[in-house]
Amino acid sequence: MPSAIEVHSLSKRFGAVHAVDDLSFEVAQGRVTGFLGPNGSGKTTTLRMLLGLVSITEGTATIGGRRYVDLDHPIRHVGAALEATSFHPSRRAEDHLKSVALAGGVPLQRVQETLEVVGLSEVARRRVGKFSLGMRQRLQLATALLGDPEILILDEPANGLDPQGILWLRSFIRNQADLGHAVLVSSHLLAEVEETVDDIVIISEGRLVLQSTLADMASRTTAGTGMRIRTPEIDRLTAALDAVPAGWRRTGPDTLVIDGASPEWFGHFAAEHRIVLYELVQEKSSLEDVFLELTNGFDTPRPIGPTDGGAA
Amino acid sequence: MIPVLRSEWLKLRTTTIPWLLTGIALVITGLSIVFYFVNKGSGGGPRDQGNFGPPTPDIPHTTQQLRDLLGTGVGIYVFALLLGVLIITVEFRHKTVTTSFLTTPHRTRFVLGKIMIAALTGAVLGVIVLAATLLGGGITLSAKGGSFSSLARQLGAVAPGMILVYALMAVLGVGVGSLLTNQVAAIIVSLGWFLILENIIGGIWHGTVKWLPSGAASAASNVSTGRQNIFLFNWWQGSVLILLYGLVFAALGSILLARRDIT
Repeated sequence: MPSAIEVHSLSKRFGAVHAVDDLSFEVAQGRVTGFLGPNGSGKTTTLRMLLGLVSITEGTATIGGRRYVDLDHPIRHVGAALEATSFHPSRRAEDHLKSVALAGGVPLQRVQETLEVVGLSEVARRRVGKFSLGMRQRLQLATALLGDPEILILDEPANGLDPQGILWLRSFIRNQADLGHAVLVSSHLLAEVEETVDDIVIISEGRLVLQSTLADMASRTTAGTGMRIRTPEIDRLTAALDAVPAGWRRTGPDTLVIDGASPEWFGHFAAEHRIVLYELVQEKSSLEDVFLELTNGFDTPRPIGPTDGGAA
Repeated sequence: MIPVLRSEWLKLRTTTIPWLLTGIALVITGLSIVFYFVNKGSGGGPRDQGNFGPPTPDIPHTTQQLRDLLGTGVGIYVFALLLGVLIITVEFRHKTVTTSFLTTPHRTRFVLGKIMIAALTGAVLGVIVLAATLLGGGITLSAKGGSFSSLARQLGAVAPGMILVYALMAVLGVGVGSLLTNQVAAIIVSLGWFLILENIIGGIWHGTVKWLPSGAASAASNVSTGRQNIFLFNWWQGSVLILLYGLVFAALGSILLARRDIT
């Protein structure tokens, strides 16, 4: 299947700062791709280059093989909801969408349709200046959906959404993929998109760290897996384990961690030796741990330095 | 083209810009009319300098006087300029330009849309100011014993030039705003240029006056009033000059915008 989005050797320099550095990845049609990286890693700059808002220093970024600016009525092909996009505060939600529809060659009936999809029908006549951050995010999504595009690009869409909003966003994104649309969704938190994405692209400091399917990345999490056991018969257990032998380490008076064993195996093992268990916990290093490890854990705000890029 | 204009008009009318500017322009028009009659009442002002006819009566009655009264609004074409400046800079002030560029990625096309809506709404502003002058001036005139219709008869001579100047000034405003996208800076520079700098430059080098935008505007506004100032171009040369200023600025602005990163 042809790629919906292709980024090839893409670079962006702001003066001496490499905000994006030789970045290549692809987004497949009909799949949700999470575009992940810490704040300031170049995600927003990459998306904005893809959309023709920021000039490209080197490389290419194409949508269905064409540059965004070369698309005829681009919002009918690509819907984008970007961070830091704003609305005129005295404009009503409906009028904002109408003005975009008119300029973008989209039938006006789409205005009400998209307002309904994002659940803003009731505030359609309200001025955007009175909107909460969550409502603005929804209006941003409505704007992206207006042209009924086959490709959606969402930059940190979960920011400002309440928990219900995030649940809604997840089903919304899944729904888009089920319709056969490609979705590229950026986030600085893997957990935020973990349940939604099929593929992931991880960048750090403007460079590609990993592109894979989520499933492949999840398999990495088994490395370093441990099972935490709590038992009143810890001495009998350790003796039995030594006889197998299996690797274990004591972590408390009645707890230990066994490495490289499955819960199924251990359940039978404990039953055979008639050892009483109080607790059996699979200690997975989470995807988030892997993500943080891959991106050097730079997920917390760090001082602005020459490598920061100011690209958030 | 029509959908672009509809979109731009929808964007414009959902801001306070056109209403605020029209309101202020109307207030100043009203004051100008009052000032005009007060001035006339005191025995004629500098407007009569070129008029070697019989002594000026209390109310305007010569063709030129009536045209001056009806054309009072020409003096505040700066509102049309501001309209143009605001039409484009508002996008940057409220960061709506991101959405606009996503919808219209060719930035020259974006500026062209602004130029078109500015020309159109600038002309409409000219019509509104002119109508207000006719109404206010005509009523005052008839109250003072003159006739409303004598003023109305001058419409054919005054209206084309005035509406043209308003439309062109709004286009010039878009040109300025495309170069200086910071709204406050663009307003200050525009007002500073038209209200202060041009007067200084024109005062020092008289020969430059006809080349300056305000000189060109004066020339353009005298479409068929028959009043040709020897220091100025004729009406169509003046019009072309303002348009050139506007388009050159807009072209430079488009080039700058094309390279600009919208972050």
